[in-house]
Amino acid sequence: MMNVLRLIGLFGVLVFILGPLVQSFLLSLIVTFPHEGFVKGDWTLLNYRNVFRDPELLASLGNSLIYVSLNVVLTLLVALPAAYAVSRYRFVGDKHLLLLLLAFRITPPVVLSLPIFLLFAKLNLLNTPVGIAVVHCLFNVPVAIWILSSFINAVPRAFDETAFLDGHSRMGFFVKLLIPAIVPGIGVSCFFCFIFSWVEVVFARILTSTGGKPVTMAIQNLFGFQTDIGLVMAMTVISLLPGLALIYFVRNHISKGFQLRG
Amino acid sequence: MKNDNSMAWMLVLPALILLCIVGVVPLLAVFNYSFFDIFTLQDRFWVGLEWYGDLVGTPELYHALGRSVLFTCVILAVQFPLGIAIALLLPQQTYTSSFFLIVLAVPLVVPWNMIPIIWLNLINPDYGLIGYGIKAIGWDFDYKFNALHTWILIVLMDTWHWVGLVAILAYSGLSSIPQAYLQAAAIDSASKWQVFRFIQLPKIKGVLMMGLLLRVMDSLMIYTEAFTINAGGPEGATSFLSLELGEEIGGFDYGPAAARSVLYFLLVLVVAWIFQLSLRRQNEKEA
Repeated sequence: MMNVLRLIGLFGVLVFILGPLVQSFLLSLIVTFPHEGFVKGDWTLLNYRNVFRDPELLASLGNSLIYVSLNVVLTLLVALPAAYAVSRYRFVGDKHLLLLLLAFRITPPVVLSLPIFLLFAKLNLLNTPVGIAVVHCLFNVPVAIWILSSFINAVPRAFDETAFLDGHSRMGFFVKLLIPAIVPGIGVSCFFCFIFSWVEVVFARILTSTGGKPVTMAIQNLFGFQTDIGLVMAMTVISLLPGLALIYFVRNHISKGFQLRG
Repeated sequence: MKNDNSMAWMLVLPALILLCIVGVVPLLAVFNYSFFDIFTLQDRFWVGLEWYGDLVGTPELYHALGRSVLFTCVILAVQFPLGIAIALLLPQQTYTSSFFLIVLAVPLVVPWNMIPIIWLNLINPDYGLIGYGIKAIGWDFDYKFNALHTWILIVLMDTWHWVGLVAILAYSGLSSIPQAYLQAAAIDSASKWQVFRFIQLPKIKGVLMMGLLLRVMDSLMIYTEAFTINAGGPEGATSFLSLELGEEIGGFDYGPAAARSVLYFLLVLVVAWIFQLSLRRQNEKEA
């Protein structure tokens, strides 16, 4: 009896989560817009072919991949040492630092969008993936510090001390011992940086008004007086693929590493 | 814990510098703008606290705040029980559970501006899957002009988008419970509810706090999704805090928008502070 209920529940979850995407997927496989030689309503791969024939859409995929990778690298570079400090030391101002991290993570992008635009115009970071990569650190660095520090907490302190006794320098210890020990944590951080960065719209819109558009904005641009909804959905489906690949890689670790310190 | 201030600050410094560039400096700029009437950035007049007075003195701000708080409460009341229930349904550490974790994470990687588009397509009475269903049962669903229906749609959409995060976090808490606890409970013939109340719930509290913070703030400041559905309508019934701010920025009212931004940031700071206090209390209790 219990198992039947569980199966029904799990099936319900499956339908609720995947159901809405089914329609989008189906639309992406249908001719929804007058194209020469095609009948509206027919099954087709035309929309996908059109995505790959549109230089702007292709460029946007490139832009998004570039800014997300840059963002992940930048975030990890600054978050790893900070996470180590948060996990291993009590220091003057640590509580304020954690409060600041919390506050920045939850500050809505709309609040900062105008000054960010002006500042990045001065720094010459408009219309390039680099600008988006930098600005997304605002919410990704705090998340990465939380996740990484909870993984470092799980490494016993004796691990560090033994390494220093063995004559490892701090840098050597970091690169050769600590990072390999928390690889799952790095994977999970990458995943969360990715999901908050890849899908973000407010900063991405304000920083790329004339060029360097990421996927989200390229999709937005497809809407107009007449919209080829099939093409929109095809692009959306393609935009899910990198995220899905990442989920697959971290699936066994995704559920670890969320203990916060106040 | 060791006390080693200079070493610790050295390690934190790179992160801090980066956050100053993308966070502190823009905040100071917003703070500065909020005292000016801005025509262009070169051409502006000092107005002192006038914008703040306008904001605080009129009821619109409190109405928007009320709507946002109500929305957040609904979201929490729906998504947390549902997310925890889903996590409890999942079997522990099998291929099935990995598969479901992946499924639950899928909505999280959909671009935010596409989420309302997907849902508007779904409820379209001419070709949407849900639209067909609504037509079939003869429900007069009108998200454009019926405030309750707009709310239902936005809550449903937000739940679809985020319930996976709550479920994943709750599942991560559940899988950290040693089997011995559950076996001991079975020996004492504890009921399902007792197991949940006294073993599972205390264990997932920590991770749920993280989920709670993210969900509270993201729903309080919901923008992209809610705006695309009905642009704050009908008659402002879904005009949340961020939507009002977005409108001001869109209308180039930079001075008032800046004052509003400062107020919102103060709100954020208060929420973060309360959250930190309760987190610290919880950690002390466990220690």
